[in-house]
Amino acid sequence: MFKLLAFLVLGTVMAGCVTVRPEQRSVLADPTMRFEGDELAQGQKKHALDNREGSTGGGGVSGGGCGCN
Amino acid sequence: MRLQLTRSARLLASMFVGVMSALAFEATARAEVVDVDTAHTVYYEAPTRSHMFVYTPGLDLTVKPTSWLGVTAGYSADVVSGASVAVKAGPAYQNTHPGADVITAASVHDFRQVGHGGFSLAHGSTVYTAGYSYGTEHDYRSNAFFVTAKTDALEHNTEFEIGYAKNLDQVCDRTQGPNVTPSRAFALEDSNGCFTNGNPLRSKRDITVDAFQGSWTQAWTPVLVTQLIYGVQIIDGFQSDPYRSVILGEGLKAQEHHPNDRARQSVTLRANYFIRPIRSAIHASVRGYDDTWDIHSITAEAEFETYFGEALRVALRGRFYKQTGALFYSDDYSGGDRPLGPKGQYFTGDRELSPFTSILVGLRANYTFRRKEGNLFWIVESAKAGASADAVQFSYDQFTLGGTEIGDARAFILGLSGGLVF
Repeated sequence: MFKLLAFLVLGTVMAGCVTVRPEQRSVLADPTMRFEGDELAQGQKKHALDNREGSTGGGGVSGGGCGCN
Repeated sequence: MRLQLTRSARLLASMFVGVMSALAFEATARAEVVDVDTAHTVYYEAPTRSHMFVYTPGLDLTVKPTSWLGVTAGYSADVVSGASVAVKAGPAYQNTHPGADVITAASVHDFRQVGHGGFSLAHGSTVYTAGYSYGTEHDYRSNAFFVTAKTDALEHNTEFEIGYAKNLDQVCDRTQGPNVTPSRAFALEDSNGCFTNGNPLRSKRDITVDAFQGSWTQAWTPVLVTQLIYGVQIIDGFQSDPYRSVILGEGLKAQEHHPNDRARQSVTLRANYFIRPIRSAIHASVRGYDDTWDIHSITAEAEFETYFGEALRVALRGRFYKQTGALFYSDDYSGGDRPLGPKGQYFTGDRELSPFTSILVGLRANYTFRRKEGNLFWIVESAKAGASADAVQFSYDQFTLGGTEIGDARAFILGLSGGLVF
């Protein structure tokens, strides 16, 4: 836990030194650079894999249903 | 399936449709955003003694009538058909009964439906989201609530998000006799009579889930962005498969019995890097997980995505997953010595609680159509379509069916998606 906190503090301090100016952000707005992507399709694939593995969780906080067959 | 709506439910449904229609009309009239997405996934696997086919359709509608308000509603389902292992035995028991076929499979047909709705409010650089979903299956009911808050800082280069979700679920079980110990409990035969009032042969078992999550997304350079996610889940309640039995010893077969409490946590680090000269992106992620059932897992994913022209993107991806088994997992609970008898307080026939490895390879293509000037058919701002195909190979280290290793343990996942922005 201490290592994780130290990593977060160090990372946040380093992040404060970073400046990506608004005119440089065009690539960051590209669909290939978005983490959420196609949420519905990605969610369905994740749902299929989660039901075959013993370690779900940590990918979002919304829920609903079991779908565990 | 027949839906019987009460008068109040019909009134609520009418109000909901009315509000959504008004919001959609308002949004179109003001040229704000209405987003309609649909996705359809097919999952198929046929390992030894079982097979499973799952079709998952989904539809989401998002309306943003103003810059500070967003409303979402959606529906998804799982149409399940197949056969799963209903009675699991280990090699020791099979060796003492060489002529008997101790592993049985049962046909599975289920229809899971989930409806969800929510809204988001933006205030400055902070967005608050809240939502609810209701899920129903023949043998399961789910009520889930979630709230999230997201804000950015450092000239939009840093984004923090926290979230909390609560599930209040119920699963159908066979009514057990008074003072029945777990090693004498009978498995549920089928879902007939589940969630109907007054059926003495069926009972409801509660499951509650509390989930917390925090994430930090950081743009480091104009072509590199990372995301760190930490999640915790605390689960309390009936977590066994009510249909599955495990052979525990000579003449002793019982419904599988898992601990009621489970706490799990995971850390995920993701990175996206854009390579300008070839107009392509590399996506990489690593996830570590552990829980109080002593399952540890590591997941590593990588994807290479590139443009063909302005509208078509194609991605090639790979995923590696490895987990340890649960502390109480055994391939044979009969002990292996005569007289055969149960060992351990908990017992499971679930291969997902055994140690295993899986490898996924897949391909994905997405096409986005947007006119440089004007709209498609006057009102459509952009349209998108996607297709994906994945194959997963599972390798089970210990799980067998009476000593027979699981063969053909591979799954195929096919997906189609589409969307319109008005």
